[in-house]
Amino acid sequence: FFIKTVFLWLGGNQVSPLRPICDLRVLDHFVPEARDSEVIMVRSLCCRGGCGVMKSYFVPLTSVDFAVLEHIDVSHDAVEVQTGLSLLDKALSNAMKTVRNSPLANALDNNISNIHSLGQILHSLDLQVVVGLHFTSPHDSAPASTQTQEVSSLPELLQVHSSFLRGKVRLLLSAAPACQRQNS
Amino acid sequence: MTKMRSDRLKIVFMLCLAFITTGGQHFESKVAQLLRDETEDIKCFVEVKDLTCFWEEEEERNNLHDQYTFTYSYENKNKMACVVSSLSLLASNKTVFYCKLPKTPFFTPLDVQVFRDGRMLYSRSLNAENFWFLDPPRNLTVMSSGKEGQLNVSWLPPLLKYIDDSMIYEVRYAVEGNNMGKVEVIKVSTMLVLLGLQPDTRYKVWVRVKPDGVAYTGYWSAWTEPVLGVTQPSDVDPLIMLLVLFIGLILCLLSMTVILSHHKFLLKKLWPDIPSPEHKFPGLFTVYKGDFKEWMSQNNSSMWGRSVHVYTEELPSPLEVLSEVSLTSHGTSQREERQAVEEDEEKESERSDSGLTDRWREPPQAHCLVEQLRALQENPESLSQSLLLQSHETYVTLNQNSQGDDERQVDDVFEETLPLQTLFTTAGTTSLNTSHSDLGSLQQSSGSGRLSSQSSFEYPNHTWPPKGPGYTYMAVADSGVSMDYSPMSSSRIAEPLGRHRMYTNDYKNEIFLHKWPLSGQHTQSGSESCMGPGW
Repeated sequence: FFIKTVFLWLGGNQVSPLRPICDLRVLDHFVPEARDSEVIMVRSLCCRGGCGVMKSYFVPLTSVDFAVLEHIDVSHDAVEVQTGLSLLDKALSNAMKTVRNSPLANALDNNISNIHSLGQILHSLDLQVVVGLHFTSPHDSAPASTQTQEVSSLPELLQVHSSFLRGKVRLLLSAAPACQRQNS
Repeated sequence: MTKMRSDRLKIVFMLCLAFITTGGQHFESKVAQLLRDETEDIKCFVEVKDLTCFWEEEEERNNLHDQYTFTYSYENKNKMACVVSSLSLLASNKTVFYCKLPKTPFFTPLDVQVFRDGRMLYSRSLNAENFWFLDPPRNLTVMSSGKEGQLNVSWLPPLLKYIDDSMIYEVRYAVEGNNMGKVEVIKVSTMLVLLGLQPDTRYKVWVRVKPDGVAYTGYWSAWTEPVLGVTQPSDVDPLIMLLVLFIGLILCLLSMTVILSHHKFLLKKLWPDIPSPEHKFPGLFTVYKGDFKEWMSQNNSSMWGRSVHVYTEELPSPLEVLSEVSLTSHGTSQREERQAVEEDEEKESERSDSGLTDRWREPPQAHCLVEQLRALQENPESLSQSLLLQSHETYVTLNQNSQGDDERQVDDVFEETLPLQTLFTTAGTTSLNTSHSDLGSLQQSSGSGRLSSQSSFEYPNHTWPPKGPGYTYMAVADSGVSMDYSPMSSSRIAEPLGRHRMYTNDYKNEIFLHKWPLSGQHTQSGSESCMGPGW
């Protein structure tokens, strides 16, 4: 919590920019943990659609079009990523309340903390939000903030969570200008 | 202008064709491989950026692609159709239908379906980012690294912008002509140094690529065409060789000099001399050529003293025999017997000189004694035995009653040969007592009480001649077992030994306590022979 407040204060005041966290190995560590939740869920005989309370979750879209990706300034997708992470955070927290299986609950808790860390990383990259540009084709009418989907079970939620991290979050981090400057 | 344009178009067309054909070659091989390995009805893979799905033509029908419909959808969107194409595989003589998605969505579940004549044939849901089937790495080069047993291998990564940092490579290398090779796995990096190779050897190298599995997964690509590389020959520096030889030579010379300088010492240690007693016998081997008798004779008192000393150490003399009183009648008859004996001669001379009338009848045992003594001196090995022999047998006592009366002496002698048992039983104790008091001398008070085992040191009825009494005595060195008289006589008279032994033991002990300086020569029966004890 202390670290969070420090980051927020720094981010808010913008007195001194945070050092960008460009190492993708951090994310590459979060991705397997997201997969572990799926595995634990399957092992705990929490069958699809029959485990716990059937609840609907609003989750972000995860699809990525590489063709479109090349032509867009990735930094503009930071808003979508940040929105999506917040959505996943809420959804996972709601799901954890319904889960009684302690290993699964622990895994979900871990995923939630990872999402928070990703938020910090994104913040460190100092991605400026530009309105109007998205991951997907500009022909889509829906605005970026409302690009969500609804899932009705925990397995689907976990699948979306994993896909989101591996796709959009990772692409954004790898294409961040702050990291590109370091690499070049 | 138009000509130039047409030329450019042609060039572009040719390049595109070339690209397609190469892509097609890879495409066909990929299709063929997945056809063998993949078990799903709809087999899909991503080559560059787009997903391709294909299915095998059913054997029953031969119509091409007019009845097949391929649709796909994702994220709850409407289904989209894809154009179906066909491909005939020459190698396996099979036909497949495939569809290449125009806009492939990644990181989202994709639902694909195949319809035939309006009926759904196959369906599948998959994430496109999990089915990468990349082309083999390009521009594989193998070069010698300049060091022994090493090769530098390098290649180009796939032309994919977003997943080039998620690649994993496998490098296979083997000696040319050998199928058994080793495999090295390397992440992200597109160059590798092979170590531990044989020098001056031709190696074949292959490389293939696959996504690392974190964000993207897929199938292993095909192996590249093998590229040959030759390792450097092993270079043994001639300078080092010379140095090694030189040092070796110096070490050899040093060791040789050490060995030569200490060869005597070493020889002594390895081949020790056999010790010789020559230094103890000066002149024995050099002058007398090993003749010990001559050498002995030549050496005088100094050597004799030494030898005597030696003799006394090695040959303890058990007896000292001195002759004293010469006997008359019997003595003459036995003189002849005694003549050979030194001690007898001495005794005779003493007797003759002294003029003693008393004759001392030397019992036959005395002669035996002397003989035994001589034998002992000559043969010291039989010392212990002879000691026993003598001690058991040879006790000669001077009998006073035998002074003037030979017959009587003889009788006395024979009386003395009476079984000692009676003597012991009747007056044994008294005589023993008396013997104690008189230091071994026993009074011949009674005839029966006369103990043949007396050893008379004193002659109360007879005065010693002034010239000194000649008496024979025996000093037995080994005194413990020696004073057994009676068993001898009793055994000859065929008496049981046991009882006598008992008595003799008693007698022996008591008599012997007085430590005889003289031991009377016991006149025993003539039946006794000069032999060792019978028991």
